Amino acid sequence: MTVSHPRTVTQTARIDTDRLAVLGLTVAVALPLIVFVVLPLVGILNLSFVTEDGIGWGNFVRYFSSPKFTRVVVNSFTVTLTTTAITVVLAYAFAYAMHRTAMPGKRAFGMIVLLPLFAPSLVQALGILFMFGRNGVINRSFGLGIDIYGFWGIVISDVFYSFPHAYLILSAALALADARVYESAQMLGASAARVFRTITLPATRYGVMSATFVVFTIVITDFGNPMVIGGDFSVLATEIYNQVSGQSNFAMGAVIGVLLLIPAGLAVVIEKWIMRRHHASITDRSQPLRLMPDRRRDMAGLVYASVVCGMILLIVGVVFVASFVTLWPYNMHLSLRHYRFEVQNGLQPLWTSVWVSLAAGAIGVVVTVAGACVMRRLHGAAAQALYFLSILPAAVPGMVLGLGYIFAFNDPANPLEILYGTAVILAICNVYHYHAQGFLIATTGLNQISRVFDEASTSLGGSFFRTLRSVILPIIWPSIVSVGVFFFVRSMVTLSAVIFLVTPSTQLAAVSVLLLDDAGNQNQAAAFSVCIMLVVAMALALFHGLLRLSGAKRVSLFG
Amino acid sequence: MTKWTRSTKCAAMIALASFCYGAQAGEITAYTSLEEDDIRVYLQGFAKAKPAIKVNVLRLSTGDLAARMLAEKSNPRHDVIWGWAVTQMVDPRILEMTEAYKPAGIDQVKPEFKDAQNRWFATTGYFAGFCVNTEILKKNNLPMPSSWADLTNPAYKGQIVMPNAASSGTGYLQVVSILQMKGEEKGWQYLKDLDKNIAQYIKSGSRPCKMASTGEYAIGLSFAFSGVKQIMEGYPIKLVIPSEGAGYETEVNALMKTAKNKADAKQFLDWLLTLDAAKLYGERAEMSSVPGAKPTADILKAGLPADVATVLYKMDFDASAKNKDRIIAEWKKSIER
Repeated sequence: MTVSHPRTVTQTARIDTDRLAVLGLTVAVALPLIVFVVLPLVGILNLSFVTEDGIGWGNFVRYFSSPKFTRVVVNSFTVTLTTTAITVVLAYAFAYAMHRTAMPGKRAFGMIVLLPLFAPSLVQALGILFMFGRNGVINRSFGLGIDIYGFWGIVISDVFYSFPHAYLILSAALALADARVYESAQMLGASAARVFRTITLPATRYGVMSATFVVFTIVITDFGNPMVIGGDFSVLATEIYNQVSGQSNFAMGAVIGVLLLIPAGLAVVIEKWIMRRHHASITDRSQPLRLMPDRRRDMAGLVYASVVCGMILLIVGVVFVASFVTLWPYNMHLSLRHYRFEVQNGLQPLWTSVWVSLAAGAIGVVVTVAGACVMRRLHGAAAQALYFLSILPAAVPGMVLGLGYIFAFNDPANPLEILYGTAVILAICNVYHYHAQGFLIATTGLNQISRVFDEASTSLGGSFFRTLRSVILPIIWPSIVSVGVFFFVRSMVTLSAVIFLVTPSTQLAAVSVLLLDDAGNQNQAAAFSVCIMLVVAMALALFHGLLRLSGAKRVSLFG
Repeated sequence: MTKWTRSTKCAAMIALASFCYGAQAGEITAYTSLEEDDIRVYLQGFAKAKPAIKVNVLRLSTGDLAARMLAEKSNPRHDVIWGWAVTQMVDPRILEMTEAYKPAGIDQVKPEFKDAQNRWFATTGYFAGFCVNTEILKKNNLPMPSSWADLTNPAYKGQIVMPNAASSGTGYLQVVSILQMKGEEKGWQYLKDLDKNIAQYIKSGSRPCKMASTGEYAIGLSFAFSGVKQIMEGYPIKLVIPSEGAGYETEVNALMKTAKNKADAKQFLDWLLTLDAAKLYGERAEMSSVPGAKPTADILKAGLPADVATVLYKMDFDASAKNKDRIIAEWKKSIER
């Protein structure tokens, strides 16, 4: 009794400092989320209740009773659900081919599949139009009358747009497996189909749910693709644009923005429900899976991966080619004339974009990894609240967030007004715009580690930070790098939120692409996009080289 | 450590502050919806006349700029509005942010191109025009249209794209000019007949012309200068100005009440009405309010008339601004898909 007494005291003290550390970090994670996500949204929410006769539900009533309302909501949901189903199935098959077959060419496939992430979304829509438009390559060459505009146009371009996001999440889920389970299944004589149904699928359920949730929200809030290729098929996100940009009607735009937030709440509830049933796939006793060659399976994987990558290359490739063509599709002689950028400041926006994106990468890593770590230690309502805050941005259309930032940070009463009009706020805006996705990548990485490790470390007397530093970070640091690269790349190509925040001195590259396209110069827009893609590719190569030099041989960027 | 962090923070704050409030004498900020390449040319001209004044420019589309200015209303960041659609300018929420100013040379500007209370004046403008792709027209054996009336020919079914009047200023300009020239009842009936031939309503005003240029559709209803530009680019486009008269929009300029550098802002506004500026308008704009602006040979070759006044329909801007909400609501109800 006398011997054990002092030990209990030190242990309680340690637990207290530990709790304090978790509490401190929770506040450090939650506070910026409140300032940079909740406050701007509250501003927008407020707006939705401002009517000519004071505060009330008038705008909602007016919108709900308009004849277009049901149609637009139905449109949004059918297009989103169709796209989500197609993307998740296709991306799962692709990730499966990458991790569970011994097909050749995995490195190349792994890079190509991410290409849509490196291109401004506008250009992807351009590429699809160059290929499949009414006067596109396919229709011109084969004399067909395919009309891409409308429902299927949006579905096809959004599948391309969201494919890499789904692939990254599913890839992380399929990358790790416990060989012991598969060996026992094999010994017990289970068929391949049964192994897939009873082992692989259940083990990756969490990844599938995450991917579904992410794709759903990306598609329902996407506004670029429906704008370019949707024709008269209106969705909620383009309706916001109609209201805000066309009619300067912020209140109505806000109403639709609020409506778009509802699916997010639902997605959170569903995902939480699934997560409760989720257990870490890798435990302290796991054995890594070794793949045995299997000709039929590997061939099938190779064919499938080639088709997917071929399609992606085609879309990006046609834009690349168009940037060197004199006048698509009438004068196909090659020329460099589109690379004389006749916009204000020439190529300067490209370098501004690089700096903003580097800052977004650094800030994004700190913010999301801290968030993911804190989440592991929180329980109950606090955990749910923080989780909701972290993934809330996914449901916010960029345009709504950008406008929210103006209302929140251009207010002389706000001490953070100092940030307004600077490059810093662009970086912050990008971080919180893509916070949910970054946070999910970090969480998926973290969830690969069984909590047994944490518990072991804690019971051996490791503090929260010590566990973090010597157990968690060494295992998940490749995921951390992926998060940084994710934010960097998104920042390079995103448009919808920052379009409202750029200033004369902080013009961004993706905005230049829009301006060039606006001016009727699709080929120049294509050329500027090629420059963006080259910068991103060079940055990725650089990151990769540095990682390899630092000794991480088997790290692949982006999960 | 804490000391170091604090001083760094302090330095950063000061750096940021000087960055934010960097607009000192000799520097002004203009918000505009003029085209990028035109902005460059105009500013080169201004730099020659007033080398000491630096103009920072933010360019956004007409609607995006309105959203931005209204959102920033509590703390405007710009000194002048430059080249922005008059139908947006007359929004009372915008007008109350401006300050009356009579720039030198304002007397030579006709009354319809300036505000009676001197809150804004126009320098340039644009008017409705059809971009017709001659290649697609030939392929489909379609006749060349010359007027709004021609466009209801059933042969054009599914071959015409038009801007969405609710989201595009050009779209509203086209709709309101038809309503004014035909009267509301006949005007709406015409728009319903035209609707049968429309393949898509596009959310931006210049895109219909671009879609016609790349051959996605045969005819893109747009504004005239987007056609001129695509022709100069080399696309197989013919610019058609509707024979009934083209509805038009002027691009206006104004001084902000909150301008941080009013003296230089005024010098900039003055320069917009000089002969030097007018010469540039002749090269870059389809119409100008300043005498002395003559269109270049290239532009005339692309199909722009030498005397624009002959093709314009005389718009009632007060009515078109006043009725905007009602007309758009009606358009959304009976036309929009």
